[in-house]
Amino acid sequence: MQTSRRDIIKASAATLGVFAVGFYIPLDGMPKLLAQAPETKQMPLPSPNAFISIAADDSITITINKLEMGQGVNTSMAQLIAEELACDWTKIRSVSAPVNPVYNHTAMPVQMTGGSTSLASSWTQYRTLGAAMREMLVSAAAQRWGVPVASCTAANGVVSHPSKGKLTYGALAAEAAQQAMPAEPKLKDSKDFTIIGKSKKRVDALEKTVGKAQFGLDIRIPNMVYAMVAHGPVVGAKITSLDDKATRAMKGVVDVVRFGEKVGVLATNTHIARKGRDALKITWNPDQADLSTAGMVKQFRKELDSPGALAEKRGEVDQAMKGSSKTLELEYALPFLAHASMEPLNITVNYDGKSCEIWSGHQMPGIDATVTAKILGLDPSLVKVNTTYAGGSFGRRASKDSDYVRVAVELAKQVKRPLQLVYTREDDMRAGYYRPMAIHSVKIGIKGKELAGWDHKIVCQSIFKGTLFESSIKNGVEEAAVEGVAKTHYDLKQFRCTQTLAQTPLTTLWWRSVGHTHTAFAMESAMDELAEGMQTDPMKLRKTLLKNSPRHMAVLELLEKESGWSRLKAKANRAYGLAIHESFNSVVGYVTEVSMEGKLPKVHKVWAAVHCGQVVNPEVAKTQIEGSIVFGLSALLYQEIIVERGQIKTGNYDDFPVMRMNEMPEVKVAFVPSKDPPSGLGEPGVPPIAPAVANAYYVLTKQRLRSLPIGSKSYTV
Amino acid sequence: MELNINGKVSKVEVDADTPLLWIIRDELGLTGTKFGCGKALCGACTVHVDGSPVRSCSFPLSAAAGKKITTIEGLNDPTSQAVINAWVEKHVPQCGYCQTGQVMSAVALLRAKKKPSDADIDGAMSGNICRCGTYQRIREAIKLASNSLV
Repeated sequence: MQTSRRDIIKASAATLGVFAVGFYIPLDGMPKLLAQAPETKQMPLPSPNAFISIAADDSITITINKLEMGQGVNTSMAQLIAEELACDWTKIRSVSAPVNPVYNHTAMPVQMTGGSTSLASSWTQYRTLGAAMREMLVSAAAQRWGVPVASCTAANGVVSHPSKGKLTYGALAAEAAQQAMPAEPKLKDSKDFTIIGKSKKRVDALEKTVGKAQFGLDIRIPNMVYAMVAHGPVVGAKITSLDDKATRAMKGVVDVVRFGEKVGVLATNTHIARKGRDALKITWNPDQADLSTAGMVKQFRKELDSPGALAEKRGEVDQAMKGSSKTLELEYALPFLAHASMEPLNITVNYDGKSCEIWSGHQMPGIDATVTAKILGLDPSLVKVNTTYAGGSFGRRASKDSDYVRVAVELAKQVKRPLQLVYTREDDMRAGYYRPMAIHSVKIGIKGKELAGWDHKIVCQSIFKGTLFESSIKNGVEEAAVEGVAKTHYDLKQFRCTQTLAQTPLTTLWWRSVGHTHTAFAMESAMDELAEGMQTDPMKLRKTLLKNSPRHMAVLELLEKESGWSRLKAKANRAYGLAIHESFNSVVGYVTEVSMEGKLPKVHKVWAAVHCGQVVNPEVAKTQIEGSIVFGLSALLYQEIIVERGQIKTGNYDDFPVMRMNEMPEVKVAFVPSKDPPSGLGEPGVPPIAPAVANAYYVLTKQRLRSLPIGSKSYTV
Repeated sequence: MELNINGKVSKVEVDADTPLLWIIRDELGLTGTKFGCGKALCGACTVHVDGSPVRSCSFPLSAAAGKKITTIEGLNDPTSQAVINAWVEKHVPQCGYCQTGQVMSAVALLRAKKKPSDADIDGAMSGNICRCGTYQRIREAIKLASNSLV
């Protein structure tokens, strides 16, 4: 979601009024609204009562308007409110927000979680809500006691007065909720923080550990049936014949329903639904019978020669290249990738013909609600959305067209009974919505020992075309395709970045760190090749080219100190690799310690240095970096979506492996101390890990990694 | 047929080919055991059968007859409590979806070996995938639980 963010941020504030009165999101008009609205006012502060509910027993319920999908928002965002509310942290509990415009993203007219923006966009809003509620509690106490507000103080869940005594927040809650909202709630100075910056235990840790946390798949409602859908084995497949006799004869099969080019099987448990679905005899018309990974690679390669759209230009690169004494011509190819969250896609729908309630881990609950209302022809006020915990998402549950929501709701429309649509692992992996394949061609001119020019061409499939966010494509350039190359912080004087958007029948989607997933690999791998070409140290080269970027320099210096870079000497079977990358306004640098085990690199240790502004919860923050390393390494080592004869071959964790315990390196994370507002952290740890390992791999093998995953045959010509 | 799950005998009427997972989740409503892959590749569905960790998504019902089955909801001994405490202490869960399976594997490991080595942990835990990448903390939490039990 990152790409359009800046544009949406600009666009959104002025459009907020449009959405302030109803729950309806005008999907058709959205792209235009997002594109046209000028940058104007800030979103007004919503009522604290919508976010903070204090009970008579002093327990405090905080409504979190972001999806808890593992990144820790239910804890860290609660910390923002708790800090300013001056309450007892142990009394806090977090719940997911319903759909309502008050829970919209502060920078765009939709309720959404994505782009690593949760803490960044809520930093001021959530603290101000906490401060406003604190002042309302103090006003309520002052009113009850008949004393001036200024004579009362609030701390640790209690309002005190020198002569009147103490009242707990619980005792004041009802009166506080009636108080006028303070015009300018006073926020703490960061030096006085006692909750922000502390590693509070995750509020969801215990329930997730003991199996009480409720994920989408755990929803059980009366009379619910389990549904599986035959999605079609071929991209864009059409049904030519259907024989459901065997399925209907199965004990426990409740119904078989064809809707559009899909067939749903309803049954009394998930196993029967699956068995029934698999027993359907369907002939599909394979209208993409020739589609293959090899064909798409060929297609993308061909596009490398097209001029493409200009994303950024510095100096006169053609001239600079002509004057160079040596030219590196590098090509990097990266595959389609699935999100492969542990919890397969699912949604529970209860539609009785009059109103509808849905349950899932929604990243964009308002859009999912609107899509549901539209399919069912219901007034949006008759659609209730419940956001459960999500068993991972990595972007997948922010479906740009609510794909799996549509499937379930269209099925529910036919059968009008409560159902839970379950995707098997294979359904989940083959349903599309992939990180797009990308091929980079990088030409670097070197003159003597100096960099002369950098000419960078990217061919990538669009993520945003045909979506609500299409307006972010400007002059043919999609930021998601070029982010991390265009506007690079490297001080490249003669530089050009061009891009061609290739089209394939596969659907694409933002995948944890979006375009940076491929751009960082090309940039940071090429940077090491440049260092070799210039006969200089990779750290030294980066410091030279980043000397005007203070945050990058701070990360490199911290990384150098933590890893002892200058003392690390490659041995026969141990080498060290470096990479640094900025994404989502945070800078992450890694040094990796790597050996070879057979044909694959084994990563023993990773030193991480991170600049993400104020760290709200250091341990939770570290987990995001540790997890990003696993996410990025899994892609480097193993993962690609393979298409043959129009079929997605890749289907489960055997052919799309995720790194396991025995492969886990030791990870040491250090943060650059900062009082800047928080920037992203869920995604920025992913991009630099693959090149940091690839650069060590080269030292060990003298082979450059130019395509991923390692050992893939997809890109051999 | 009858199944002994968490010390309670339940009668279930399902096809003999039904994997244990779906009886636990859909028939008995114990949703702490998770569906991840359906092919014994990820370990999210791990339960104990007579104390040994098994992948319930691929465990046939017939093999469960007469055995003591324990799900995450049925853990109640000091080893389990030590593991659960350590999981919270070490900030292990992120999305949390795989964690009940991880806990079941870790409890079985610690019951079999009070002081597991790193190699023991690799051996016992490498059947459980975590897409959020919590492995380092799982390792630390197992060691913490182990130390707290001595």
